[in-house]
Amino acid sequence: MKGLGRSSYLALVFGFLYLPIAVLIIYSFNDAKYSLEWKGFTWNWYQTLWQNDDLIEVALHSLTIALLSATLATIVGTLGAVALYRYQFSGKKLLNGLIFILIMSPEIVMGISLLLLFVTLGMDLGFSTLLLSHTTFSIPFVVVTVLSRMSGFDKFLIEAAKDLGATEFQTFIKVILPLLMPAVVAGWLLSFTLSMDDVIISFFVTGPDYEVLPLKVYSMVRLGVKPEINALSTVMFALTLVLVLLAQFFLKEKK
Amino acid sequence: MTDKTVFKRFAIGIIAIWLVLFALVPNLMVIIASFMTQGESEFIVWTPSISSYQRMLDPLYLQVFWNSFYLSAFTTVLCLLIGYPFAYLIARAGPKARPILLLLVIVPFWTSSLVRTYAMIIILNANGLLNSTLLGLGLINEPLQILYTDTAVIAGLVYTLLPFMVLPLYAAIEKLDWRLVEAARDLGARKVRTFVSVIIPLTMPGIVAGSMLVFLPGLGMFYIADFLGGSKTTLIGNLIQRQFLSARDWPFGSAASVTLTVTMGVMIWIYLLSAKRANAKVEV
Amino acid sequence: MKKLLIAVALAGVLGSANAAEEKVLNLYNWTEYMPKEVLKAFTKETGIKVKESNYASTEEMYAKLKAGGGGYDLVVPSTYFVQRMAREGLLEPLDHTKLPNLKNVDPKFLDQPFDPGNQHSVPYLLSSVGITVDSAKVDPKTITSWLDLWKPEYKGNVLLMDVARETFAVVQKALGYSANDTDPAHIEAAFNKMKELLPSVKLFNAESPKVSFIQGEVSVGITWNGEAFMGQQEKKSLTFVYPKEGVILAMDTMAIPKGAKHPDNAHKFLNFVMRPEIAAKISESLGYGTLNAEAIKLLPKELASNRIVYPTADDLKNAELLEDIPTETQGLYEKYWSELKTAK
Repeated sequence: MKGLGRSSYLALVFGFLYLPIAVLIIYSFNDAKYSLEWKGFTWNWYQTLWQNDDLIEVALHSLTIALLSATLATIVGTLGAVALYRYQFSGKKLLNGLIFILIMSPEIVMGISLLLLFVTLGMDLGFSTLLLSHTTFSIPFVVVTVLSRMSGFDKFLIEAAKDLGATEFQTFIKVILPLLMPAVVAGWLLSFTLSMDDVIISFFVTGPDYEVLPLKVYSMVRLGVKPEINALSTVMFALTLVLVLLAQFFLKEKK
Repeated sequence: MTDKTVFKRFAIGIIAIWLVLFALVPNLMVIIASFMTQGESEFIVWTPSISSYQRMLDPLYLQVFWNSFYLSAFTTVLCLLIGYPFAYLIARAGPKARPILLLLVIVPFWTSSLVRTYAMIIILNANGLLNSTLLGLGLINEPLQILYTDTAVIAGLVYTLLPFMVLPLYAAIEKLDWRLVEAARDLGARKVRTFVSVIIPLTMPGIVAGSMLVFLPGLGMFYIADFLGGSKTTLIGNLIQRQFLSARDWPFGSAASVTLTVTMGVMIWIYLLSAKRANAKVEV
Repeated sequence: MKKLLIAVALAGVLGSANAAEEKVLNLYNWTEYMPKEVLKAFTKETGIKVKESNYASTEEMYAKLKAGGGGYDLVVPSTYFVQRMAREGLLEPLDHTKLPNLKNVDPKFLDQPFDPGNQHSVPYLLSSVGITVDSAKVDPKTITSWLDLWKPEYKGNVLLMDVARETFAVVQKALGYSANDTDPAHIEAAFNKMKELLPSVKLFNAESPKVSFIQGEVSVGITWNGEAFMGQQEKKSLTFVYPKEGVILAMDTMAIPKGAKHPDNAHKFLNFVMRPEIAAKISESLGYGTLNAEAIKLLPKELASNRIVYPTADDLKNAELLEDIPTETQGLYEKYWSELKTAK
């Protein structure tokens, strides 16, 4: 009975998380442009999507930026969290404050101020400015998640490693990182999610050569979500799901 | 130079350089802008003034702050209530199931939040899924007006922010030393008591982290409230966005942003201070 | 594609300013405001590849360009932004010798006060703000004036757009003032009038108003005519009313932003879309009214006679074009707008 209660709670929350996804998948097959009524089954929207090579290109742009920025943010953020937790140095309070400010900054403020910074630095708007911006807004999410796991950490483990002659770097790789892994993974996932969903900051920091998907979707949604967008979301959802399952499968094989 | 200092310098250096360049410099620009004046054909005129901050004192804007604060706090509490048991159950699942469950939590969020919010409109509207189901089951006689109410807004916010609560919580709960919990049980503590006096304090860092990652971004989030609530309330996020775009008043928009950050900073500082004091008492 | 990349790289290295432009045009446009087939036809004819990026509001586009974000060759500002952007030096002057097709544009819409002599912009499409009515719920004949929205029977069924400027323009017209009136006393009167409407308002649409009409959430509302036209395709009972006090007009134009890297290509494109058959195709595909006199002759009859897209002269009696207003007035609108949505 206890196990049943647990499973049903999990199922309930997962149901809540997946219900809108289910709805948008169903509506991607609806034979009506804006209507919310069910007007019959059609593949039409997938055909329209397939002909829209722009959308496919920007979707790839988005995936590239999300993968790279999440990885970069996870590296910088994890190292940063370890530094903030383990070491004393001047300016530590400032860094903590900046992390807080980054989480707090309204998107438009961050978008415009980063744009001004890039323009001042004479950078061309596009891939690099997007990558830097996305990494920047993801870093605090990694730091906070990793720090929360580290607090209350068993300091003796680290001491023990050092007593056995491990260098600082070895201690980090062999002892600290494995202990932090769940938080590192969680931080990466949050960063990837943030990047795939950011509209306003991307709007300001990108140029004509590097459009990203959320921007396209956002401007299309302003005209009412068309089943075409639902079809696109369905395809992306199916792809990510397959990737995730494949990764799972291969990781298990390795073990 | 010992190897410790090399690694230490590297770890500190990389985050310090990044944050100084991409957080400190842009935010200094925002702070400076907030003390300047609005111009007719320039966003910022270099005449120092504190008028933007004086205007913030208008009761109208205080009300806007309060509305946003209330909405975000309510959302955070709900996310915690729903997310804690959820994260706990995932963390207690078998080691094989854990990563899969974790991924299943995050995968829906790789779909654009706008598109998901739109799907919620389909579910909640007068002739939508929820109403037709309830009508079909005979639980209600007339469609409920949920869309364009606060209920819809809260549901949307909780939905969107839930993973930001669940993931940090999971990371914190997963490392729990279950021997401590067993020990408490062995000492005769009942389940509720074990939970309240052992598990919750041990996972407090996760609770704080999750709440911050929900509450702070939640304050600035406004498009969900606009979509699901019919944009009938001005939130701090709308206000700032409108100052930068429609009103073309960058100094005032910057001042609103700075005020928001400082207010929250002070509140968190007070919280941390009191938490430290409380901890100190316990240890004594 | 590879060749293109090499060409782009070379152009970058050599910094060739006046040599023949690379065959690229960066169009910065509203979403779905330029049919794909027109872009394809242009590429086929000229070999110039069009890269389109989108914005959701002119304010966003303006803020981005003004802050120095660029790289675009063509933008699509509304009339009142043309005025501001030209004054602030954000637009390149047009070379009329490269735009022979300008002669096709209805002279009524040329040489307007917002851009004398069309130095910076050419007219693209016309839209108007009026009242969308769901005739299944409300008899459209009973709505002739903006003030009809205040009738108690529509309580909880009214939709407003979530934009201060256009909504204030409407209410100012309803009260008998100009849509471009900047007198604070008149604006305050409009604000007070809006407060009276508030209990009737079901939502300020942040997304597309036609969706709320199609869903049946609202029965009357202030919208752009294009929304009513597109909504009608999906729900026949939707119609559009031109209130007698006069509608609000906005002309969208095309202009070349300062520092555009491909001004020649931009001129070629401008001239291309002013061809009668292309302009007609655009109007047909988007459901907005073309300003091209020659194109109107080529339109299918059912579109040319659709009053939502092509209002009669009578419909446009008292109509007013939105003009640029001082920043101070815009600030006042925004303050009242926040107040409207905060007062409980």
